[in-house]
Amino acid sequence: MPETRADNVLMQKVRDGDLAKMAVLFERHHHALFRYFLRLSGNRAASEDLVQDVFLRMLKYRHTYRDGNPFTAWMYQVARNAHLDSAQKRKSETPLDGEREGLHSEPASAEPDPGEILRRRQDLGLLRRALAALPLDKREVLVLSRFQNLKYEQIADILACDVGAVKVRVYRAVKALSQIFFDLAGEKAS
Amino acid sequence: MTCDEVKEQIADYLTGGLSRSAAGEWNAHLAHCAACKQEVEALAETWRLLGLLQQEQPGAAVRPRFYESLDAYRQGIESATPRPARRRFFDWGARGWMPAPIFQVAWSAALLMVGIGAGQWLTARDRNRSELARLENEVRHMRQMVTLSLLEQQSASERLRGVDYAYRVEQSDTQVLAALLHAVNYDPNVNVRLAAVDALRKFAGSPAVRSTVDRSLAKQESPLVQIALIDFIVDTNDKGATPSLEALERNPAVNKDVKERAVWGLSQLQ
Repeated sequence: MPETRADNVLMQKVRDGDLAKMAVLFERHHHALFRYFLRLSGNRAASEDLVQDVFLRMLKYRHTYRDGNPFTAWMYQVARNAHLDSAQKRKSETPLDGEREGLHSEPASAEPDPGEILRRRQDLGLLRRALAALPLDKREVLVLSRFQNLKYEQIADILACDVGAVKVRVYRAVKALSQIFFDLAGEKAS
Repeated sequence: MTCDEVKEQIADYLTGGLSRSAAGEWNAHLAHCAACKQEVEALAETWRLLGLLQQEQPGAAVRPRFYESLDAYRQGIESATPRPARRRFFDWGARGWMPAPIFQVAWSAALLMVGIGAGQWLTARDRNRSELARLENEVRHMRQMVTLSLLEQQSASERLRGVDYAYRVEQSDTQVLAALLHAVNYDPNVNVRLAAVDALRKFAGSPAVRSTVDRSLAKQESPLVQIALIDFIVDTNDKGATPSLEALERNPAVNKDVKERAVWGLSQLQ
């Protein structure tokens, strides 16, 4: 992938002293990193702080970047460590309740049906609650695969396991999320 | 395909990664296995809904914060890199063409030949002074950068170090003062807020400090920080904050100890 190769080259330049190149990597990746942290923690301010933390860590530990290492996997490894350190300090994660009810990314409907929109809004609200209730390891693998659009091979690099293990973890995470989601929907309906 | 094999491949199915041959076997299995069909449909619905969750954007402050941090980091590295002594202390600008050893020998000779080298010596003294002033300015700038950079850190202990560094900057440093005032008002950690209140004493002469401390008193939720702010007001004899202390005393929601301190503060300011 040319973009990935370019990221690797940029990071090599940063490592070799051209620190200004980190700005290009920031512009490419800070949105994705912010969403990664936000999906994990549910806290906007903490997620923005963690984005800064990741780029500072990558500057500080730039010497550990090795030629040929996929940059994205390395960056998410740094991000995971930053999040784990932060979570340990906070002790407990803030529930994912700070987000707005959003329907902006839904495909446009030819005939908007208020009842359907309301139902969907409720579904998404329940889904957020279900996601917040998921254990961190399951939430993380879902965030990486569903929201960060990373391939299972990349996730395997990040989590330091094989691709088969990633697929099993994704299956278990979706199953657990689905169970919580339908339980919540059942409670609401009953 | 067995039920277990279906489960093994659900992750690929969700991302559209099933091979053509696997998809055929998959569909054939689901056609006659109601349990697998139901599970796959439920998981696929959950997966689809996940894709509808809004993709939030970071706030506008994230970008300038990063660039400030990057600049501070780069300048920190550049400042930490030792320069050759010749350039540092004897930067003659337009005379830089003179090879170093020859220059140094000439300089030594000039020092020995008092009288002949007097004019040159006076010039060199002025330049040395100017170089020292530049170095002092560089150190000041470095301290400011370090302070601002530390105050931006995720870790509360790093931010505390930033507050500690603030004692080393000039009283006239408005950027550090602004960062400390921000910390007093908005830092999530009580210890950092307390330390920042203490550090503000260095800047107590500034009207901005007094007005911020005054306003902050009503906003703070931590009794410890409120008491520290009252003490600050008393120590700086800020009579302008009297209405804020009175409001604190009247507010039934305020902690008892804070109220007592506010009463004490009012008596001290009279």
